[in-house]
Amino acid sequence: MATIFTPVPSGVVQKTAARTVDAVKVYGRGQVEVRALDGVTVEFAAGRYSAIMGPSGSGKSTLLHCVAGLDNLTSGKAFIGDADLSTLNDHQLTILRRDHVGFVFQSFNLVPTLTAAENITLPLLLAGREGDQAWISKIIETMDIGARLQHRPDEMSGGQQQRVAVARALASRPEIIFADEPTGNLDSHAGAEVLGFMRRAVDEMGQTIVMVTHDPTAASYADRIVFLGDGRIVDEMHQPTADRVLERMKRFGE
Amino acid sequence: MIKVIVRGLLARKFRLFATALAVVLGVAFMAGTLVLTDTLGQTFNDLSAGVYKGTDAVVRATAAFNGVQNTGEQRPFVAASLVRRLSRIPGVAADEGSVFGYTRLIGKNGQALGNPAAGAPTLGGNWNQVAALNPWHLVAGHAPQAAGQVVIDKKSATDGHLRVGDTTTVLVKGPPQRVKIVGIIGFGTADSPGGASVVLFTTPVAQRLVAAPGKFTSILFVAKPGMSQQQLVSNLRQALPHGLEAITGAALTKELQDAFARAMSFFNTFMLIFAVVALLVGAFMIFNTFSITIAQRTRENGLLRALGASRRQVLGSVLLEAVAVGIIASLIGLAAGVAVAAGLKAMLSGLGFGLPGGGIVFTAGTAIVSGLAGLTVTLVAAVSPARKAAKVPPVAAMQEVTAGSTGYGSKERVMVGTAILALGVAALFTGLFTSVASKVLVVGAGALLVFFGVSVLGRTVSLPLSRAIGAPLPWLRGVTGKLARLNAMRNPKRTAASASALMIGVGLVGFITILASSTTASVNRTIDSTFAGDIVIDSGGGLMGGVDPNLARQLGKLPQVSVATGVAVGSMQILGKVEQVSAVDPAAASKIFDVSPVQGSIAGLGRDGIAVYKDVAAAGHLTLGSIVPVLFRDTGRQTLRVALIYGDATAAPAPRFFMGNQAFDANFSVRYDSQVFVEKAPGVSTAATLTAVRAVATRYSGTTVMDQAAYKAERAKPIQQLLMLVYAMLALAILIALLGIGNTLALSIVERTRELGVMRAVGMTRHQLRAMIRWESVIIALQGTLLGLIVGVFFGWALVLAMKDQGVNVFSLPVLTLVIVVVLAGLAGAAAAIWPSRRAAKLNILHAIVSE
Repeated sequence: MATIFTPVPSGVVQKTAARTVDAVKVYGRGQVEVRALDGVTVEFAAGRYSAIMGPSGSGKSTLLHCVAGLDNLTSGKAFIGDADLSTLNDHQLTILRRDHVGFVFQSFNLVPTLTAAENITLPLLLAGREGDQAWISKIIETMDIGARLQHRPDEMSGGQQQRVAVARALASRPEIIFADEPTGNLDSHAGAEVLGFMRRAVDEMGQTIVMVTHDPTAASYADRIVFLGDGRIVDEMHQPTADRVLERMKRFGE
Repeated sequence: MIKVIVRGLLARKFRLFATALAVVLGVAFMAGTLVLTDTLGQTFNDLSAGVYKGTDAVVRATAAFNGVQNTGEQRPFVAASLVRRLSRIPGVAADEGSVFGYTRLIGKNGQALGNPAAGAPTLGGNWNQVAALNPWHLVAGHAPQAAGQVVIDKKSATDGHLRVGDTTTVLVKGPPQRVKIVGIIGFGTADSPGGASVVLFTTPVAQRLVAAPGKFTSILFVAKPGMSQQQLVSNLRQALPHGLEAITGAALTKELQDAFARAMSFFNTFMLIFAVVALLVGAFMIFNTFSITIAQRTRENGLLRALGASRRQVLGSVLLEAVAVGIIASLIGLAAGVAVAAGLKAMLSGLGFGLPGGGIVFTAGTAIVSGLAGLTVTLVAAVSPARKAAKVPPVAAMQEVTAGSTGYGSKERVMVGTAILALGVAALFTGLFTSVASKVLVVGAGALLVFFGVSVLGRTVSLPLSRAIGAPLPWLRGVTGKLARLNAMRNPKRTAASASALMIGVGLVGFITILASSTTASVNRTIDSTFAGDIVIDSGGGLMGGVDPNLARQLGKLPQVSVATGVAVGSMQILGKVEQVSAVDPAAASKIFDVSPVQGSIAGLGRDGIAVYKDVAAAGHLTLGSIVPVLFRDTGRQTLRVALIYGDATAAPAPRFFMGNQAFDANFSVRYDSQVFVEKAPGVSTAATLTAVRAVATRYSGTTVMDQAAYKAERAKPIQQLLMLVYAMLALAILIALLGIGNTLALSIVERTRELGVMRAVGMTRHQLRAMIRWESVIIALQGTLLGLIVGVFFGWALVLAMKDQGVNVFSLPVLTLVIVVVLAGLAGAAAAIWPSRRAAKLNILHAIVSE
C-alpha cells in the first residue's frame, strides 16, 4: 500500500515520539478473520498533540493499543522512541510503559483503594522512585486538583477523576501519553476542561499526546488528526477545527 | 429457572468444586466414621456371638467394684471346687473352669509383645477341654497337653515371628517362664480378639501362673438339650453361695459387645468432631463463595428481576443452586466416606487392633445422617447470600456493577456477636467447672458458640486487624505491599469470612498444643519434684500387670545399688470411693521417698497399716491410728489402721494412699511391680549403676530402665503421639480453609479485573502483581491465625484450669510452637495465593481495560 501522506510536514525537523511501520493486526482466522489494522505506517511527533479518528471499527483503538505496547502486532513494527516493541518481552514492555509512557483511559482509570496523590505517583511508586517533586507539584497545579489529593476516586467527580488520570500520565515525564477516549464518559463541560488541561500539558510543559476520539470537538484540540478507515490511514488534518473535523467525518458515511 | 441454574453451575465448574470440597470432606469424614463404626460393630458382634455360641451360662464372683482408670469390674476368683459341685445342678451337660489374667509374651527378638500400658491387653488363660466352651480354634499345631506347653494367638505369632515348635518366654506371676509353643489359635475369623495378645496354658498351669492355685476366673456351662439358657441360670442361682452370680451366655456376649462399643466410642467421638470441624469450615467457604458470586451477579439478578422474576424466584434460584451443590457434594462425600472407612480400618489394623475381616457395612442411616448434614450446612450457609440476591432491584440491570457491600458490621451485629460469644464462654465454663450432665455436649456447644461469636464479630475486627497486620508491608514492599494491605481492608466482610474458616482449624491447633504442652509441663514438674532415687524401671505392664517382684530384690543386692523397691498398684474401695493404692517395701521406701510425714512413718507400715495423704485424711476425718474399713477385690471387707499421714503427695509412691508390701500381699492374690525405684550406692556414678541395673533388667523383658531425663521423655511420648494424630486431622481442616482463601482471592480478582488492568498498563510488573495478591493472602491468613490463636489459647487456658484436679497444674504457653504456627500460616497464605495470582498475572491487559 502506498503511503499517500507524508507524516512529517516538510521543512520542519522534528523528533518522532512513536511510530509504526506497515502495522498489521488480524483478529480471528478464516471466515471470521478481521483485519483491524491493514498496513498502517504513521509517525507521532514529539511535543505535539495528535488525535486518531475514525468511525467505529476503523481500528483507531487497536492502533493506539499496539503503538502503546498494550497489544502486539500481527506483522509490521511499532516503536516508542527508538524501542522496537516487537523485540520486548512482557516484563520489558511493562517497564517501558511504566517509565516512558503515560495512559489515560475512557473510564476506571484510577485504583479505587488509593488516594488521588497516590494514584498520580503510582507508576513512580511501582518503579520505586521518588520522582521530580517540583514537576509533580506543577502538574497538580496545572490540573487544578490540589484540593483533592487526599480523596479517593469514589469521592471525586468524573471530571476530577480524569484530571487525576492525566496528572498520573504526566507524573513520570513520559516520552508520550496515550489517551483512549479520555472524555468519552464526561459531560461536555467537564470534557472541555480535561481537554484544555491536556492542551496545556503540550503547550506549556512540552508533552506529547496521542489521543483516540470519535468526538470532533475533542479532536479539534489536537495539532493534527489522523483519520483511519477499515484499518488504513485515509486522511490527515493539521490545525483542525471542530467544523472541519465534523465535515470530514460525515464523508465516512458516504 | 432450573435451566438458568444448571447453566450457571456448569459455567462455574471449578468454583463449584472448590466450594463443594469442604462439604465433600466433611461428609466423607462423617460417613467414614459411621461406616467404620457400623462395620466394626457388625463384625465384632458376629465374632463375639459366634465364639460364645456354645456357652449357655457363666458363673463368676460378683463384681466388688469398678477398678480405677477403666481397668474394668474387679471380681475375686472362684474356687475350683465349685466346678464339680455345680456340674450336678439339673440341666448342666458340661462345665469347666476358665482362667484369664495378665500375661506377656516375648517375641523371637526378645522384646515383649504388645503395650498393655497404652494399647490392647496382653492376656493369659487356660485351654478349655470342653469344645463347646472353647472360643478358640487351632490354626496350627495342637492344644497344650503338658506344663511348659502353650498355644498363642495368630497375631502374636506373626508379630513376634513365633512358630509351632519355638521356645520362648512368658512374663507371668513370679519369675519369667520358658514355654514351648505347640499351637497357634484364631478367634473366630480374626487373628486375635481386638488386638490383644493371648497365651493359653493347660488349666493347672494357668491357675498357678495367671490366677491362683485352685482358683478360676469364672466357670462356663453347657446346657442339656431342651434346657434354655435362662432356665439353666435360674437353676444355678439357687445353688450359688453368697458372692457369686450366674448369667446367660447371651448376656456374656452382650457384655463383650458393649465393652467393645465403649472402647470404640472415644474413637468415634474423636472422628465425628473432625467431621463437624470440616463441615463448619465448609459452611464459611460456601457462605463466602455465594456472597461473592451474588455480588458479582448483581446485574444478572437485576436483569432477571427486570424481566419479571419475583424476589421469591431469585431467592429460590440461589437456594436451589445451594441444594444442587449440597447434593452433589454430599453424594461425592458419601462415596469418599466408604474409602475413608476402608482407610481408617486399614490404619487401625496397622496400629495393631487385629480387626476381623469382612465387608464394609453401609447403612441407610449413615447415608441419611451424613447426606443431610452436608446438605443442611450448604443450605444454611447460602441463606443469607440468597436473601441479598433477592433484594437486588430490577434497576441494577442498568447500573454499573458495584462490587459487594463493604460492611463493617452494624451496631446490632456487634451486640449479637458479643452476646453469642458471651453465651459460648458461659456454656464453656459451665461445662468445665460445674457438675452438669453431658459435660462434653455443653463444652462442645460452648466452643461452637465461641467460634460463631468471633466470626460474627469478625467483620468488625477485620479492618483494624488487617491494618495492623499489614502495617509493616508498605515499608517492606513499597506500593505493592501498600496495595495488598488496602485490598485486604477494602472488604472486611469478605476478609473476615475467609479468615474465620482458618480461625477454626488454627484455634483447635492452638488449643491442643497448649493442652499438650501444659500436660507435659505438669508431668515434668511432677517428675522434677518427685523423681525418687536415681533410676526407675518401668514394667510396661500398665495398671493390669507388671514385673516380677524378684527384680526389685535382685537389684537391691547389687553392689552399685543402695536400696531398691518395687511399687505395686491395685484398686480398693475406701471412704466410699474406689481408689488406687500402691505398695512399697517400707524399709527401702523410707530411704528413697521423701514423703514429708505429718504423723507416723513409712517404717511403721505393717501388715494392716496404710499411709494417707494429709488432705485426704483431713477430708475423711482420719488421724494417726484411725481404723478405716476397706473393700478389696480378693479379701473383701477388711480394716486398716492409719500408720502414716504424709504431707507431700507428689513425692510419695502414690498421691493419695499407699501401704507396705505385707499389707498388700495379704489382700491381693496377684502381685506385680508396676515400677521399681533404685537409689545408687554412695560413691558410684549414675552411669555405672545404670549399666549394672540394665544387666539385671534385660532378663525381665518389657521393662525400661530410665534415669530422670529418660523418664520424662518416656512420659511425654504418648502425649506427643496423640498430638501428631490430632495435628494430622486438623491439617486437613486448615487445608480446606486455605483453599477457601484461594477461592476468595480468585473471585476478588475477577471483580478487580479493571483496576488490575490499569495497574498493569501503567507499569505494574507481573511479579509485582503476584506479590500484591500474595501479600493480601498472607494478611487474610495471619488474621485467621491470630483470631484462632486467641480463641485457642483461651480454650487451652480454660481446660487446663478445669483439669487442675487431674494433675494438670501448669499452664504452659508454647511460644515457639505458636510462633511456628504463625509463620507456617503466613507461608500457607502465600501458597494459597499461588494459583489466583498466576491467573491474575496472565490477565490480558486489553480485555481488562477496554470497556464492554
